[in-house]
Amino acid sequence: MLSSLSRSVFSAAARVLVSRPLPVLASRGPGRSLCRSLWVHGGASSALRPTFLNPHRGFPAVSCGCGGLHTEGDKAFAEFLSDEIKEEKKIQKHKNLPKMSGGWEIEVHGTEAKLTRKVSGEKISVTFNTNNSIPPSFEEESQEGQKGEEEEPELISTPNFVVEVTNLDSNQTLVLDCHYPEDEVGHGEEEEESDIFTIREVSFQPTGDTDWKENSYTLGTDSLDWALYDHLMDFLADRGIDNTFADELVELSTALEHQEYIRFLENLKSFIKC
Amino acid sequence: MSLLIRNLQHVVNLRRALLRKNLEISRSCLRVGNFDVGVICINDAKIRQLNKRYREKDTATDVLSFPFHEDLHPGFLPKPLFQDEYNLGDIYLGVEFIYRQCQQTQEDFHSVLTVTAVHGLCHLLGYTHDRLEDWRQMFEKENEVLWAINKATGSALKPLTTAHFDH
Repeated sequence: MLSSLSRSVFSAAARVLVSRPLPVLASRGPGRSLCRSLWVHGGASSALRPTFLNPHRGFPAVSCGCGGLHTEGDKAFAEFLSDEIKEEKKIQKHKNLPKMSGGWEIEVHGTEAKLTRKVSGEKISVTFNTNNSIPPSFEEESQEGQKGEEEEPELISTPNFVVEVTNLDSNQTLVLDCHYPEDEVGHGEEEEESDIFTIREVSFQPTGDTDWKENSYTLGTDSLDWALYDHLMDFLADRGIDNTFADELVELSTALEHQEYIRFLENLKSFIKC
Repeated sequence: MSLLIRNLQHVVNLRRALLRKNLEISRSCLRVGNFDVGVICINDAKIRQLNKRYREKDTATDVLSFPFHEDLHPGFLPKPLFQDEYNLGDIYLGVEFIYRQCQQTQEDFHSVLTVTAVHGLCHLLGYTHDRLEDWRQMFEKENEVLWAINKATGSALKPLTTAHFDH
């Protein structure tokens, strides 16, 4: 079962990855119905007619005195964004970022977050970035038409995360690059045969350095002895990075991603509206 | 050929390396080291779902085995024709269920987990315990495997079906 299911999941994932782009603004649930109003509002054919201010280029300008270009399209765009922001705020689950259990301290810089904790002689940090962390939808193309008014699946952020374990005595840092397998967030019936998270690469890196030192030996786990892999998973679990942590990280990352998405929309609106 | 361990639950803290070590001894004892085996650790909800779907029993349980081969005879190894058939199948361990039972009986969780996994492995080879004769055969095989583990690790594990039939 495990082997045959894994194969089917991998092939499905590969097909999706090739054919479907990453989510864009319009793919977000509440945005879909609003997209339609944008096109109606834009009145493309009349807006492109030559006018006194734009005799040749067809940019329907709206003057506000700031000196910048403002078109009818920009106005519609800003209105669309107002509605989108309102909708996104309505469905926002967390006004503040959820806390991680296990005494982790959190530090956020834009889309990047860093969790740290100290345990007897070791400093452990986990960093992740919410950019491009929402996997493509696994919905079948052919079923889309049948979906109709059904609710869109919730968007879940599953970022790659990097665990750094620093031995405070030796000042050596072991770095483990961790991922959420693609099929974990699929919507099939029996696809959940992968671990909740997996380790992809392990390496020693200079302590406190943000750049990945390419000449440090990097252990890939694709062809790794499974016994060694299990020891590495136990090593992480002993340091508080287990399935519970991975689940909480998804919740935190999803909240942060949504928060940053709303902030981006607000910035975009200010930029367009002037 | 590999032993794949997957941990899909977060209710119980699992020692994967220990489980693997004991199962590798078991595979070697059963002479099935050249066959793939999947061991999937799941919670109550998931094993209940599987138990309902495949056994029509709407309850959580400790272990469910899904043999890859159909024509199994206890005491005889499957005879694969192709490379893909060097597969014994999958063992689903209801670790939440096992953990809860261990708390009630004051037994060591990882010991019981090993015993349960060995039980599941024997099922993958066609051993059953529905009739007294079948059970005797399975009990002997489980005992043999656990003896090998006990010898290698110094533990004192006993077969899961020890009290299955009065003997």
